[in-house]
Amino acid sequence: MGRPRAPKPSSLGRPFALAVLLASIPSQAQAQSAGEDVFRTTCAACHTTGADRLVGPGLEGINDRRDREWLIAFITTPDQVIAGGDSIATRLLAEYIVPMPNLGTTRAQAEAVLDYIRGAASDAPSPAQEEAPPATEEQILLGQALFQGHTRLTNGGPTCNSCHDVINDAVIGGGILATELTTVFTRLGGAGVRAIIGSPPFPVMQKAYEDRPLTEDEVAGLVAFLERADAEHALHQPRDYGIKLFGFGVVGAALLLGLYSLAWSGRKRGSVNQEIFDRQIRST
Amino acid sequence: MDVRSQISMVFHLDKCIGCHTCSVACKNIWTDRKGAEYMWWNNVETKPGTGYPGKWEDQDIYKGGWEKDGDGIRLKGAGKPKSLTNIFHNPHMPVIDDYYEPFTFKYLDLIESSAGDDQPTARPISMITGEPMDIKMGPNWDDDLSGSPDYARNDPNFKNLTDAEQEAMFELERMAFFYLPRICNHCLNPACVASCPSGAIYKRGEDGVVLINQDVCRGWRMCVTACPYKKTYYNWNTGKSEKCILCYPRIEAGLAPACMHSCVGRIRYLGVMLYDADQIEAVASADEADVVQRQMDMILDPFDPEVIAAAKTNGVADSTIDSAQNSPTYKFVKIWNMALPLHPEFRTLPMLFYVPPLLPVVATVSEADHSERGGELHDIAKHWPDSWLYDTTTKELFGTIDDSRFPLEYMASLFSAGDTVAVADRLKKLMAVRLHRRLVTVGDVAKETVDAALADTNLTPLLADDIYYLTSLAKFDDRFVIPAAHREQAIEMIEFTGDVKGNTGFGFKVGSATRGA
Repeated sequence: MGRPRAPKPSSLGRPFALAVLLASIPSQAQAQSAGEDVFRTTCAACHTTGADRLVGPGLEGINDRRDREWLIAFITTPDQVIAGGDSIATRLLAEYIVPMPNLGTTRAQAEAVLDYIRGAASDAPSPAQEEAPPATEEQILLGQALFQGHTRLTNGGPTCNSCHDVINDAVIGGGILATELTTVFTRLGGAGVRAIIGSPPFPVMQKAYEDRPLTEDEVAGLVAFLERADAEHALHQPRDYGIKLFGFGVVGAALLLGLYSLAWSGRKRGSVNQEIFDRQIRST
Repeated sequence: MDVRSQISMVFHLDKCIGCHTCSVACKNIWTDRKGAEYMWWNNVETKPGTGYPGKWEDQDIYKGGWEKDGDGIRLKGAGKPKSLTNIFHNPHMPVIDDYYEPFTFKYLDLIESSAGDDQPTARPISMITGEPMDIKMGPNWDDDLSGSPDYARNDPNFKNLTDAEQEAMFELERMAFFYLPRICNHCLNPACVASCPSGAIYKRGEDGVVLINQDVCRGWRMCVTACPYKKTYYNWNTGKSEKCILCYPRIEAGLAPACMHSCVGRIRYLGVMLYDADQIEAVASADEADVVQRQMDMILDPFDPEVIAAAKTNGVADSTIDSAQNSPTYKFVKIWNMALPLHPEFRTLPMLFYVPPLLPVVATVSEADHSERGGELHDIAKHWPDSWLYDTTTKELFGTIDDSRFPLEYMASLFSAGDTVAVADRLKKLMAVRLHRRLVTVGDVAKETVDAALADTNLTPLLADDIYYLTSLAKFDDRFVIPAAHREQAIEMIEFTGDVKGNTGFGFKVGSATRGA
C-alpha cells in the first residue's frame, strides 16, 4: 500500500500548519504535497490513510479520535511516549505488537502529515486489497540470492543478511544486528513487508538505503523469498539433537580413543619397577 | 678403505671394585645441574641385576638399537615412519621411575630445628618437585645384589639360562656378582644419531666422539628410545637431550676423561683405534653370530703401511697414527683378543670393550672325615667334627672356566651375542696369565699346568707378562694414550690466524671476551 496517492487539490487545506513547515507562505497545494511526501516516505510502510490495518492501525479519522497534541507527541517521539507508560500507547502496543519507531519526525512534519491524513481520509481507497499475483519461482530464487548477497543489489545497497537472519535451508548464517525475519510475513503481512522494504521506516535502514534504493524487481523478489521462508519455516527448523548430540560426542571420542589404544597397544605402560613401588610402604 | 680414527675404551671388569667413584666424578663435572639430576652418564651396575634404567637390556620393552631387516638393518623403535607417526608421543621411552626420582635431604633441618622432644631428621626432598618424598629407588638400588628377588632375578640376560642354572646362581654358597660400569659406547653405527629427526647428534670426524648439538636439538627424544644402552638422557629443564661427551674438553687438552682419571681400580683404558668406515654397514648387518668377529676385523692394524697411507690420505694426523700404535685398547682388543663389546647384538658397533670378569671357583667343598682331628687339638679348641672339606688348592683352577660361578651363557649374553666360545677364550687367557704370575710370584702351581694353559691360549710367558703389566702395573700414560687434538689446525679452518699476528706482546693490551679490556 505504499503507492503514492494523487494529491487532492480541493479539500481541507489547512494553512496554519504550513507556516511552521515552510519559511514562505505556502499554498494549500504545497501543504498537501508536503504532508503527502512525509506520509509516503515515513508512514506508509505501516499505515494507510484508510481504515485498513497494515503493521500499524489505519489512520482514517485519527484527527477526530485522538487529541492533536497527543498525536504530535506520539508521531515525533513515540519511544518516549511508550516508555512514559501512556495508557493509549500501551494499549495500542498490546494490540499491534510492533512498537512504532522514532523516525526523527519534526513537529512541523507531524502537523503536515496529520493535515494530509485529514484531507486524504475521505479519499481512501476501498478496503478491498488488490490481490498480488503469486510469486514465481524465479522471483523467489532472486530474492534468496539477493538476501544472501550472492547477487548484488542493483544500486549497491547492503545485503540483507549483513544484519538480518532467516531460518531457512537456503540461508547459512545471517546477521544478528537486526530483527530475525523468519516469520515476518505472519507478523506484518505482505503489504507491510513490501512497504518496509520499498521505503524503510527504520532510521538505520533508511540511512543505509537512502541513496541506494531497491528496484521494484528486487523488492518483489525479496518479498517472495520472505513469504516462502515464512511458509516453510516449520519445515526448516535446524534439527535439535538435544542430549543425543552429547551422546554422539561421547561415542565418537570413545571410538577415537579405542582406535588409538589399538594402534599403540604395544606401547610401554608405566615404569618397569611399578610392581616393586606398589609394594613399598609410603609415609603418607 | 676409508680409514678413520676412533677413541675407544677398554674396561677391565676383573679389576672393578664397584666403588662408583667414576659415577661421582662424572656427576660432579657434568650432570650436577637442574634437569640433569637423574642422569648418570657414567653408572656402575651390579650383575646380575636390572641396571639403570631398569631392564635397559630388554629391547622388547624399550625398542632400542637396530634389528635385522632382510639384508640390511633398521632401527627397532625409531626411524622415519615410526618417528613421524609417534612424533607427539614416543611410546617406548623410559619414564622417570625407570631411572629413579632424584632426591636430596633437608639437611638444614638438622641444625635449624627448634628444640623439641624428638631428634630432628633430614627429610628426603625430591630434586624435581622440591617437595618431601618417599624414596622409591636410586640409580644403583640393586647394588651388590640387594633386593635380588626384584632386581637380580629379573636380569634380561637370564633368557638363555635354564631355571636350574638360575637357581644355582642364587644359592647362598654360590652367589656371585660383578660390576659393570657403563658410559656411552661412542658406537661406530650409533642408533641415536640415526634416529635424530633434527640432525642434532653427530659423530666427531677426528675421534668418533658422539655428541648432541644443544643448539640444534629439539627435544624429540627419539635418541632416548633408539639408544639400546639408554645413554642419552632428556633434560626436562632445558628441553634438550644430553649424553656422555667423553669429557672431550679434557681429551682435547690431553687429559683422561674424569671417570677414567678418577678410577680407583684403574680398570679403564683409553686409546685410538683405526677402523675401516667402508665396512660399517656390512658389519652392522652381519649375522648375529658374526657381528663380534667382524667388528674386530674392521679394526685395522696401525702398523700396516697400507693402513697408514690410507689414514694419511684421509687426513688422520701422524700423531694420531702414533697414538694408535701405542694404544692400550688396540692391545687388549686386537693383539691379545681379551676384550668384547657389550651387547653386540644391538648392532651399534660399540667402541667400549670389556675384559670379562674371571670370577673363578677358587674353592671346592667335598666330603672328608674330620673326626680324628678332635684328638690332635686341645680340649678348648673349637673344631667341627662334620665331614666337609673346604679345598682351596689351585691345581684344578684352569679347568674350571667352563664351570665357573657365572654360567658362560650369561657372560655370552652380555658380551658376545650368545657365543660362549668367544667368552671362554677371553676367560682362559685371563686365567692363563693369572696362573703364570702365580708360578712366578708364589710358585705353588705346577709348571706343566701353566705351560699347558699358556699354550692352550696361544700365549707365551713374555706375552703373558705384557698383559700382566698393562693389567696390573700400567702407569697413567700407559693406560691413557690420548692423541693430540691439533686445535691449532682446527682453528685455522675457521679463521685466519694471521689476522692476530703481532697483536700481542710487550706494549700491547688487547681486550678479550674473558679478560675484558
